[in-house]
Amino acid sequence: MSSPEPIPPPNDRRSSRASSNASLAVPTLDNTREPVELLVVGGPPSTPSPLALRASNSPSSNRRKSRIAKLPPDVHLLEYLSACDSNLICLICHSPFDKPVQLACEHFFCRECLDHAWDAQHDAQKTCPTCRGRVDTTREPLPVPKIIATMLDELVVKCPNTKSGCDWIEQRVNVHDHVLLYCEYTLVDCPDFDCHLYITQKDFHKGCLHYTEHQRTTCPNRSTACPHCSVELLRLELNAHVKDICPKVIVPCPGTLVGCTVAVERADLAGHAKGCSMAIMAPYFRDQQARIERSEARLEPLSRKVGILEDGLSKITNMLYPPNANDSSFPVTNPLDPNSDAFTTAPLVPTPDFRLPPASFPPVPPSHDTSQTPLTNPTPPPFDSQIHHLLTLHGSLRDEVSRIANALTDYEGRTNMMIINENQRVKDEMLHTNAAINGMRMQLHWLVSATLQQRTGSTNSTGNSTSRAGGSTDSNASGTQGTNSNLGSRSAGASATLHLPLRRLSDSTRQNTKL
Amino acid sequence: MFASKRLSKELSKLHDKLPPGITLIKADDFTEWLMDIRVIDSNPLYQDEVYRLKFVFSQTYPIEAPEVVFVKDEDHPIPWHPHVYSNGIICLDLLDRQGWSPVHNVESVCVSLQSMLTSNTKQERPPGDEHFVKHNKQRPKDINFVFHDNQV
Repeated sequence: MSSPEPIPPPNDRRSSRASSNASLAVPTLDNTREPVELLVVGGPPSTPSPLALRASNSPSSNRRKSRIAKLPPDVHLLEYLSACDSNLICLICHSPFDKPVQLACEHFFCRECLDHAWDAQHDAQKTCPTCRGRVDTTREPLPVPKIIATMLDELVVKCPNTKSGCDWIEQRVNVHDHVLLYCEYTLVDCPDFDCHLYITQKDFHKGCLHYTEHQRTTCPNRSTACPHCSVELLRLELNAHVKDICPKVIVPCPGTLVGCTVAVERADLAGHAKGCSMAIMAPYFRDQQARIERSEARLEPLSRKVGILEDGLSKITNMLYPPNANDSSFPVTNPLDPNSDAFTTAPLVPTPDFRLPPASFPPVPPSHDTSQTPLTNPTPPPFDSQIHHLLTLHGSLRDEVSRIANALTDYEGRTNMMIINENQRVKDEMLHTNAAINGMRMQLHWLVSATLQQRTGSTNSTGNSTSRAGGSTDSNASGTQGTNSNLGSRSAGASATLHLPLRRLSDSTRQNTKL
Repeated sequence: MFASKRLSKELSKLHDKLPPGITLIKADDFTEWLMDIRVIDSNPLYQDEVYRLKFVFSQTYPIEAPEVVFVKDEDHPIPWHPHVYSNGIICLDLLDRQGWSPVHNVESVCVSLQSMLTSNTKQERPPGDEHFVKHNKQRPKDINFVFHDNQV
């Protein structure tokens, strides 16, 4: 059957571990371990050598595969914040369903409970525990409706580690992640290689506390005598004692820093230090040393900052006084000088470069051929003072501005004149055009009236002839036509009579051909 | 593990509320409990009598049925019933391997026995009671009862 893997009982943990990781197996209790190297009796197990580790790399002896081999929380043991709806309770385990399944008879059970119940039954004759109905194991158990699973997920539970101090309370669906990933009170294996006990996750980094506890209170060999002063003390504290307290240990004079070579027992050290001038001076020297180191450390960033600033300054200088400042392409001293190279291609009004103060340069030495070596002389020109520089700058700018103002006025006058001239011409032309248009209008008027007159004349003659022919020869139909055309001809004739007196009849034939 | 989890839940529920006529006497551990039952209606056979039941749970409870027998002492007799032997062993399909189902519990067994007594009218023992009581060395759940009588 598909019964889930049983949770191993606690004493099975070792065999359920996978192969170990040597780096994790290194014990972390270095301090507590050292005295043991002197006295083997009752000491903790020492760090295993790589050889020993390899030898112990068999499945039975390896327990440190994963640093944290936690068991998933048992849903049946969870404590629910409020009483669960009795419809969500499994009848077999009497707790809210865990991974529920459904049988065809619509009875629900935890998957695990149902498998337990069916263990005792033969495959062919499995029955529903509630109604004893026969179960078709090829088809059942069926999945439960989604809403059941959701209701179960939303049950509010306390953390299984509540007794250890965890106050986590949340929906049941999150309890697995909480216990395995986040809960600080989840029990994990003690980090010590040979300690078989558990420790809460939050204490994992502290190393094996069990052994320290053992060393302090329960170990029969926990106390020892100091090899120097033979004082009885805890083996655990021997190292600290020898290092800092024991009066019989031979320690060097504090003046070693300055050069004192005396080394006496700690108890006699005070007497020596009183007389030793080097020991007296030692604290001052140590202070001085520390101060020097601090100053040096502070000097380092400062010098770096100075370097950066110098770089920036030189960049700025370059920008202000470029190396090709003396190049004749800059219209400097006299922009109107016709001999200057810069104006051979320039338009009538020069466009000086305002990036440069034109008058601020000292006279260029005549021997300096700037067009040949424009980049060879980057040295900034010397100035008497900043104010002088600014004044010359100001003067040159003023000159420039007045020159531009003149040029502008010149341009303005010329443009005005041009506009007036152009206007005059355009006005004349418009007059001409108007006259031409008037002539054409008159001509058109005359043409229209002439055409109308010609038409009325022709229709009058044809209309009269047809009416006469209709009246003499034929019937009513043509008679009505005749009246229609008579009406038309009469109105046309009436309109024609208005214009007729103004026109000469002789013109009519010629106008016909034109139209 | 499974049994103790389940029994602890049942126990807390029994402490909470019990059906009329049923009392929890002793439940110190998860292996043996004592319950008292009494017939509520006025059946003259069981008037004013209280019977003591002993439940013995195995590790596999509730997959396996508990062993349930009547216990006899000075205050608690064995009730008269054609399916109850005079040594307290009960012949009830519910308590047999085949008849048991994990959805039953202590309370439901008590109620079943209560109703079994209530509906009985015969003041008699099962056939062969004397012989059975004398010779039976088996534990109650190992006995293969033949459930012939569907009347009661």
